[in-house]
Amino acid sequence: MFENLDVFKIAHAMASHAGQRQAIISQNVANADTPGFKSLDLPDFKSSYTGENQTGLQKATRDKHLHGTHSGIALNAFEEKSIASPDGNSVSIETEMLKATEVSRQHNRALAIYKSSLNILHKSLGRR
Amino acid sequence: MTDFSKSLTVATSGLKAQAMRLRHLSENISNADTPGYRRKTVQFESEFGTRSDVASVSTGKVNLDRTELERIYDPSHPLADDTGHFDGSNVNLLIELADAREAQRSYEANLKMFEQTRKMSSGLMDLLRR
Repeated sequence: MFENLDVFKIAHAMASHAGQRQAIISQNVANADTPGFKSLDLPDFKSSYTGENQTGLQKATRDKHLHGTHSGIALNAFEEKSIASPDGNSVSIETEMLKATEVSRQHNRALAIYKSSLNILHKSLGRR
Repeated sequence: MTDFSKSLTVATSGLKAQAMRLRHLSENISNADTPGYRRKTVQFESEFGTRSDVASVSTGKVNLDRTELERIYDPSHPLADDTGHFDGSNVNLLIELADAREAQRSYEANLKMFEQTRKMSSGLMDLLRR
């Protein structure tokens, strides 16, 4: 379990996925009244962690890669399929709130996993 | 910029834009009886900032509503012309109030996102505090 600290890596990936998704949801909510804005979303954590649905996609993993905006807001954000209102805006505040709650729970879960793994590690080192 | 600060930035831009919209709405409502007043409308624009790569929202140019002004019949009014009419404003209180309610709703949504991001990041900080 703690040989190469995989638990921590997974918890870290989960928390940072939640953070990225939160940024995208905030962007959707802020633009809820912008004409022509299309709401964005990220694939869920499972598929983004295991690398599903990225087959055949080229990924920029370094800054010097072509089109490589490494710090960009999630490389794999996709436009959500939902019905746009007459002004071309496809954000639904209700859906965004639902997603925001999901994200918050995912983040809390990741932190809980991290914390309890940390506790186990501390105990096994004989500290309190 | 971390995802949390991006999120806070974009939520703040939403709050600002909605507050600006509400400001123009209250201007319209308070001038509902001003002769010759045309209602102001603001358009929201999404902009990719130079510092961040999130699409924060901002209010664009203020536009004046070009619809006909209301003709009010009142011969005793100082602005009345030969037929006894003068130009009122083209503010429709019902529309302004509905718009204000929508602005309030969107403001609350942005506020909730801000609050939630803050909670998530303080949860992260709690990991350091043992």
